[in-house]
Amino acid sequence: MSPAPFDVARGSAFRPSDRTALAYVSRDGALALYNDYATHRSTLVHEPVLRGEDLEVRARWRGAAPGPRTVSVGGRVQGYGVFTFPYGPVAMGTAEAGAFDLVTYGERILELVPTVGYKDRGIEQAVVGRTVEDAALWVERRAGVFALAHVSAFLAAAEAAAGRSVPERELWRRALAQELQRIQAHLRLLARVADGASQNVGAAQVHALEEELLRAISRCFGHRWGFGALLPAHPSDRLDRNGRTELADRLGRISRGFNGLWETFLTSRTFIDRIQGTGTVPAAESVRWAAVGPTLRASSIAWDDRLRQPSVPYTDLFVPLATEANGDALARVLVRQEEIRASFLMLEQMLERWEGVGAGEVIPSPGIAPSRGIARVEAPNGDLVYDVTIADGRVASLQSRSPSEANWPVMALSLRGAVFTDFVFSLESFGSSFAETDG
Amino acid sequence: MTSWIRHSAARGILTSRYPDRAATDEELPEAGRTPTAHPEELARLSDGERSLCPTGAIREQAVDQGRCIRCERCFAFGLRPLGSPAMNVGTREELRESAGLADRRPTSVAPFGTSLHVFMIDVGSCHACNAEVLALGTPYYDLNRLGLFFTNSPRHADVLVVVGVPTPEMVEPLRRTYEAMPGPKAVLAVGACAIDRGIFADGPRTGSSVGEIVPVDLYVAGCPPPPVAILEGVLALAGRGATPEERR
Repeated sequence: MSPAPFDVARGSAFRPSDRTALAYVSRDGALALYNDYATHRSTLVHEPVLRGEDLEVRARWRGAAPGPRTVSVGGRVQGYGVFTFPYGPVAMGTAEAGAFDLVTYGERILELVPTVGYKDRGIEQAVVGRTVEDAALWVERRAGVFALAHVSAFLAAAEAAAGRSVPERELWRRALAQELQRIQAHLRLLARVADGASQNVGAAQVHALEEELLRAISRCFGHRWGFGALLPAHPSDRLDRNGRTELADRLGRISRGFNGLWETFLTSRTFIDRIQGTGTVPAAESVRWAAVGPTLRASSIAWDDRLRQPSVPYTDLFVPLATEANGDALARVLVRQEEIRASFLMLEQMLERWEGVGAGEVIPSPGIAPSRGIARVEAPNGDLVYDVTIADGRVASLQSRSPSEANWPVMALSLRGAVFTDFVFSLESFGSSFAETDG
Repeated sequence: MTSWIRHSAARGILTSRYPDRAATDEELPEAGRTPTAHPEELARLSDGERSLCPTGAIREQAVDQGRCIRCERCFAFGLRPLGSPAMNVGTREELRESAGLADRRPTSVAPFGTSLHVFMIDVGSCHACNAEVLALGTPYYDLNRLGLFFTNSPRHADVLVVVGVPTPEMVEPLRRTYEAMPGPKAVLAVGACAIDRGIFADGPRTGSSVGEIVPVDLYVAGCPPPPVAILEGVLALAGRGATPEERR
């Protein structure tokens, strides 16, 4: 049996510190999950007593009400000549349906207010009453570019809820698929940051590497974005000996290509100058607003679910942890490029040891209540939480907290006092997805 | 500066030969193709097998390519991926009959020249379609070589590419974006969600289709469609499409 991924406490028995951040709270408020960055432990709290700051954080996450809502981190700035510049929801710059209010007097951004929820398709409500397999088709189409992380988290939560064991090999497949998609997502983000800095040749080259990785994923799992790859009914993948050799070859080429390009990026003063000191989030604010993933690690907080909440196969792999101290766009980009290297390394380890993976089954950690399970996965943008209740083999309730959702408040903070042209670097270096936020 | 030139030179030309040559297996993987079977085989399927399709795309005579989300469940009872990028593109009726443009050479839907400017609007997608559309601007597909360009404003656009299933909040922005475009103009709906709402057909907030809000000229099937199929769709709007035979 996997080790219990979190301590369990009840109500007032749990005392959060100023190094503790809210990671998840259920819709009815009866269950909360906290991360403590001093002890690197997670605690699941029944009937939690939420602090004032926890309530503020929770108010910025998706609530029960559907549709658009603003994610504001302070009162509206007013003053002589101050006006609001609306951007979106129809804009090629965001490439997605989401909007921002830029409060300005003409030069500096005094305040940024993202509006999320334009793409709310009501997935959490729609999957109720469906079988796990049918629901998974909806879950993977919530955020297609992070589909493999979402499906992994959803299936793990459903398995914990049903108390169903999983073949060890299946968990390895999930990890392999997720690491491939992590590299692809990070490459995409680096290319978009480079694009914003008008590094056209570099951006095009990184985009080309991303396309090569999409083709490798497609070759392995039969779909460029991995839809269906982790579902039980899917036809067999190409991870036999030949398939693994081919994948290792392709990954080797992409990895070498990336290392060469990255050196050139680091020697480009025009690129570094644009992102250094841009969109800075101090560590205290990251904890205060419960930021996750590369955003959190870029302000020197060493939390990664693959290390702190390990499941098979991460328990058996060497997982390098990348952190940076400055909390600016450069730090976030550096963390992501370190993670690209780390993922290549993990993929290499997985492919080398694939033959030796046991035929045994892994019993998931016990559900948190009868027929209810919580699973956490380190998605490309950070900690992803799924909370699933199963009744009669069907989904009775689905709740989640996505990493994109958690990072909007710090993204809004990071642009206070910045000039207009910094907007793109902040937007792209956080990499928050509206589709993932909206559900 | 010189090192960037070195990088580019070392990589050589990556760009696809499509549409001058047929799409390769790398460009058109199985999941990008159209799952289909001989009409006789389809007619033999039991109702139970047909109901396994999560979007009800499998009918008596043909597979509705517009509804299919490529989940590949039907592969278990004999359907197989076939086709070319042209089969992913067509009017709603053509996709319903499983054929796409396979049987006809498209004519331009508007008096366009050969060069087009494209604006993409997302009305509720999972971002995979957005990524595949934007991939056309990257070195492997490079739509600029064909005289096609992305534009940042609907005011400069000839073609509106719509991705995603319209949520209530995006109905009005979609209508207004279409109205903001100067004529002549055309609409290309990309992906199962934009065609007939895909997996979201019975969702609580996804009641309307793109075609009910703006007039759609052509559809590109897939979940998401591969970039070569989207490219074929834009070319078809310009009257530069072709049958699969002509693409060999």
